[in-house]
Amino acid sequence: MITVNGIHVTFGRGTPLEKHALRGVDLTIPEGQFVTVIGSNGAGKSTFLGALAGDVIAESGSIAIDGTDVTKWATPKRASLVARVFQDPMVGSCTALTIEENMALAAARGRKRGLGFALSGDRRRHFRDRIAELGLGLESRLHDRMGLLSGGQRQAVSLLMATLAGSKILLLDEHTAALDPGTAEFVLGLTRRIVQENRLTTLMVTHSMRQALDYGDRTVMLHEGKIVLDVSGEQRAGLDVPHLLALFARQRGGEEIADDSLLIG
Amino acid sequence: MSEIAFFGAVEIGLVYALVALGVYLSFRVLDFPDLTVDGSFPLGAAVCATLLVAGVNPWLASLAAALAGAVAGLVTATLNVRFKILHLLASILTMIALFSVNLRVMGRPNVALLMQDTVLTPFYGLGLPDHVVRPLVVAVVVVAVVILLARFLSSEFGLAMRATGVNARMARAQGVETDFHIYTGMALSNGLCALAGALFAQTNGFADVTTGIGTIVVGLAAVIVGETVLPARAMLWALVGCVVGSILYRLAVQLALSADAIGLQASDLNLVTAVLVAVALILPRLRLKAALKREQPKGVVGR
Ligand SMILES: Nc1ncnc2c1ncn2[C@@H]1O[C@H](COP(=O)(O)OP(=O)(O)O)[C@@H](O)[C@H]1O
Ligand SMILES: [Mg+2]
Repeated sequence: MITVNGIHVTFGRGTPLEKHALRGVDLTIPEGQFVTVIGSNGAGKSTFLGALAGDVIAESGSIAIDGTDVTKWATPKRASLVARVFQDPMVGSCTALTIEENMALAAARGRKRGLGFALSGDRRRHFRDRIAELGLGLESRLHDRMGLLSGGQRQAVSLLMATLAGSKILLLDEHTAALDPGTAEFVLGLTRRIVQENRLTTLMVTHSMRQALDYGDRTVMLHEGKIVLDVSGEQRAGLDVPHLLALFARQRGGEEIADDSLLIG
Repeated sequence: MSEIAFFGAVEIGLVYALVALGVYLSFRVLDFPDLTVDGSFPLGAAVCATLLVAGVNPWLASLAAALAGAVAGLVTATLNVRFKILHLLASILTMIALFSVNLRVMGRPNVALLMQDTVLTPFYGLGLPDHVVRPLVVAVVVVAVVILLARFLSSEFGLAMRATGVNARMARAQGVETDFHIYTGMALSNGLCALAGALFAQTNGFADVTTGIGTIVVGLAAVIVGETVLPARAMLWALVGCVVGSILYRLAVQLALSADAIGLQASDLNLVTAVLVAVALILPRLRLKAALKREQPKGVVGR
């Protein structure tokens, strides 16, 4: 469960490049819900996920994960609650380390790291079993450097890494945007499976309206740092891509939406 | 090369192997170009020599020297992490400050260790000639350090430190307190360099504030030579590479110096080392350029 209350984020405060990226975002996501997030470039989607993860600290408002107020927590501290997959496969993994080392790193997320061996026989076997589940034949390549994998393979492993340690929420920031359509499809299917199996409360940013409606239980649209649309259930089921595109265009035209039910129809 | 010259080169190579291991930690593991080394090496020598003159146990004096180096590393790390001063500049500030500190520690520019017991004393007179005993004792220390360091870097904590250097953003997302790992790594790195300084003082019988000049370049040269002759990815072998690189580098220098035809003097060492490191840094780039037939982005150090 995630409770966000009126958070504001401003980059470069007091400089000519000051950017008020989040302008009072309120959102409550119940346990286990899968929310897709859309919005034009610069709408504040990544900033919002960054604020949830702790990369950016909200200057006002509050964020609670599973009832714990994490508003002032830095990223490493929040990592016990938050798992992430980044848009750029290079960002989400250590290319210079091996696959098993990356997995060991992720498996220790949120707990104290001591002087015990990062990789023991047991752990290697466990990682081998888990990576075999992906069905990509990577179980024989645990000693390969992560950088040798293709973008799609790396995102698949990143998703798997997100589940190696327990977490309350999963944050996916356009994690298929850098992939070709076929690979993106595979990674999305994997995402759905992993989210369901682990019953993760999930936020997935996507630039594809189709994906936003096809995946998850709820869709929110960000625009200029605010949530301007929030649909779920029946209402969402009745929505198709042209409708959503129309809403999107309207937002870009700068028109205010007083009541989103007017536009869904 | 005479036998004595050979063992002398091996001995100094082993002493500087500890510097190479420290430089490997900062430059390669943490990706933190750290010049503090030029100050922490003579700091270790100064602290150790001063304590020995005061009659402290040589092993304790060496440990104190390592701790002093660790503090120097922490100063640089604090300037960078806490106060956001660029790596190189932060380390230059500490290095310059250490020059004064070292003079204060010794109370004069150099201290001779003539009568004092050192870590080597108990091993003299066991039948082996002194010029063999010295490298042997240093070798034992180096082997212990390599084993401990390899063990450390393959622990969960060590893996997190490596991740900090490779991809700090990802490491943080995995719950790694990257700042803490930078502090720890820098303390360890400079602690090793200071320990090298302490051994240098004890094997050579003196500590001098000027011995630090160029230490970083020598350490870097050893790391690069090691990576060239032992291009291994496994942690233990990378560390062994640093040691081998340091010894080979010294042997090469000794050869060059003893070959009269070249006409090099000991004082040309820094120039030769700088040229060697520069060439080693330029070569991979030229090779890449030739391979890719396009411009490579400019970097500071490394590949
Ligand atoms: N670190 C930063 N410094 C300054 N401005 C930033 C930073 N990150 C994002 N911004 C600005 O904040 C706005 C929102 O960015 P972002 O959240 O990345 O948008 P989105 O992911 O929706 O495309 C943009 O105008 C962007 O330029
Ligand atoms: Mg974005």
